[in-house]
Order: sequence, then structure tokens, then C-alpha cells
Amino acid sequence: MSEQGNVETLIVLQPIAVDTASPDREGRLVIANGLLVAVLVRLDYPEHDNIGNWFLEVGFGRLQGKNAPTFPDLEDATRWLRRHLEAA
Amino acid sequence: MQQALTRKLESFEPLSDQARWALNRLVLKVRQVGARQNLIQEGDKPDNVLLILDGFACRYKMLPDGQRQIMALLVPGDFCDLNVFILDEMDHSIGTISACKVVDVPRQAIDEITAHHPSIARAFWWCTLVDGAVLREWLVNMGGRAPDQRIAHLLCELLMRLEAVGRVTDNSYAFPLTQTEIADTMGLSDVHVNRTLRELRTLGLIHLKHRVLTILDVERLKAFCSFAPNYLHLRNTRWGERRDLSWPGTAKEG
Repeated sequence: MSEQGNVETLIVLQPIAVDTASPDREGRLVIANGLLVAVLVRLDYPEHDNIGNWFLEVGFGRLQGKNAPTFPDLEDATRWLRRHLEAA
Repeated sequence: MQQALTRKLESFEPLSDQARWALNRLVLKVRQVGARQNLIQEGDKPDNVLLILDGFACRYKMLPDGQRQIMALLVPGDFCDLNVFILDEMDHSIGTISACKVVDVPRQAIDEITAHHPSIARAFWWCTLVDGAVLREWLVNMGGRAPDQRIAHLLCELLMRLEAVGRVTDNSYAFPLTQTEIADTMGLSDVHVNRTLRELRTLGLIHLKHRVLTILDVERLKAFCSFAPNYLHLRNTRWGERRDLSWPGTAKEG
């Protein structure tokens, strides 16, 4: 995301079901200033260590291949995404 | 303890009685190392050759962001770089995964024994070449196979390697790797590892409980990931009997 000055990136989370070949399917499309930059998926499969957390299933552009922690809630996820999208 | 060493080398190369005798005369220090301890770190000067007698260890590198990549698993009978002492410093670290029994073989002992016993020297070479072959296969695995096949391939490889050193019973073996360690080995996230193991379980291919992995259907797991064991160059899976052992200087040992 190339942003000039201190204009904050507008992040929109749009619910979507995701086929992860596992019981984890509740997801969010992460749209930053109108561009799809990532897909988050909630970890629902009971054997996950951090069940209920949000996982960066895939990232695009600047987020591609990023190793992210899992996030206890969507606010945490958004904070992390914003930080990495706005990093110079 | 020497038996492990002799057995390992003989899985590659027939040894003469003299060579076996020389191996038995080596005075080796065995030490117990706890789980998740470094044996040698990147930047250290390597002095001894390490041999794993028991347990799992790994070769790894840390990236600046804290991400770890495991490039090799070392199981009983594996050397941690036979010729590493020729180099000035370690370019990666070696650490234990489970508690290990480790032998330090002094570099001088390696120099002497290889100078006097060509069959041992050749078996050592063989170890090093196989390490390279395994690394190549891992490269193929990481770059060319989907996550489920990638993990299945690792499980098949460990079955063969552990079987060669007598650590497999009824297609079950100790599997001390945590999900994060599998992830660090396979270039996947913990979440993907978890989902993939679940899938392999659902397909009835594996069973993993209390750090013991059972392969429920070896042929199906191998077919699932198109596993070909040729790169391990194990004696029981290769063309050993067809091999021409009459190299110059071998004098028909063994």
C-alpha cells in the first residue's frame, strides 16, 4: 500500500466462507483501500492449539509469504495487518 | 556404542575385519544431551565430528525475524557432518529435538582411521554423499510437493531411515517433533501442519499419539506422495550386489 503522508489505510473485513480442506471455514476477505490484500480464517478445528484465533491464510502483495502469528480477535489482526501494510 | 557406528557404515560399505577392529578401538566419549539444546552453533569452530546414537537432532538456521528453518533431521547413526572440521566455522547450527545420546569423535581419530582404512574412508564419503542426496530430495520436497504430500514424504523417509538402524516396530517409530518443528522443517505454518496431519489421519494413512507415529498403510502412504527411496542409497534398497567393489586400492576388503 503506498500511502502518502499520514492518511490511514482503510481496512474492510468482508465475511466469506473459505475451503481450507479442514473444518476451518469462517473467513474474512481483507480489503485495504479497495484492494484484496489477505484472507483471514478462524481456527475452528478442535485440535488447533489456539482454537478460535484468526489465522492469516494467505497474503497478497506486501503480505505475500509473511509469517504472522495467529490473532485472538479481528482487532488484533487488523492492527497487525495495518502495521505491515503501512511499513515503509 | 561402536556397533552403531559400524552398523551405520556397513549399511553403505562392506568393512574388513581390520577396519572393524580399528573402529572398535576408537575411544569415544558418549554424552547425554537434553531435548532442545544446541550441540554446535552457527559461527562456532567445529572440532569434533558428532554422531547421534539415540534421539533426534536437526540442522537449522535462524532468520533475522526469528523464523527457523530446519534443513535436516539427524536420527540414530547419523553423523553431523563428517568433514565439517575441514571448514573454519559452522555455517548453521545443530540442536537436539528429543534427548539425545551423542558421541564426539575427535577429528584426529577420523584423520587417522581414514588414512589407514580405505573402506572406512569410502563409507564416510558415502555418508556425506547420502546427506547431500537427502538434502536434494528435501529441496524437491519443499519446492515441488503440495503440503500433504510433503509431510507424507518426510514420514516415509523417516520410516526407511529409522528402519535401517532398527528403530521401527510394526511400522511405528518415535516421532518427537512438535507441530512447530514439523512446520519449521517443511516450510509450512503450524496451522497447515495441523490440518495436513488431520487429513492424513482421516485418510487412514497414519496414527500419531503420544509422540509415536504409526504408518497404517505403508504402500498407500508411499503411493500418496510418490515416494522413491533411491536417494537414501540404503543397502537393502539398492543395487549393492551388482556393485563393482574392485576399486583401485580396495584390495577386496570385507
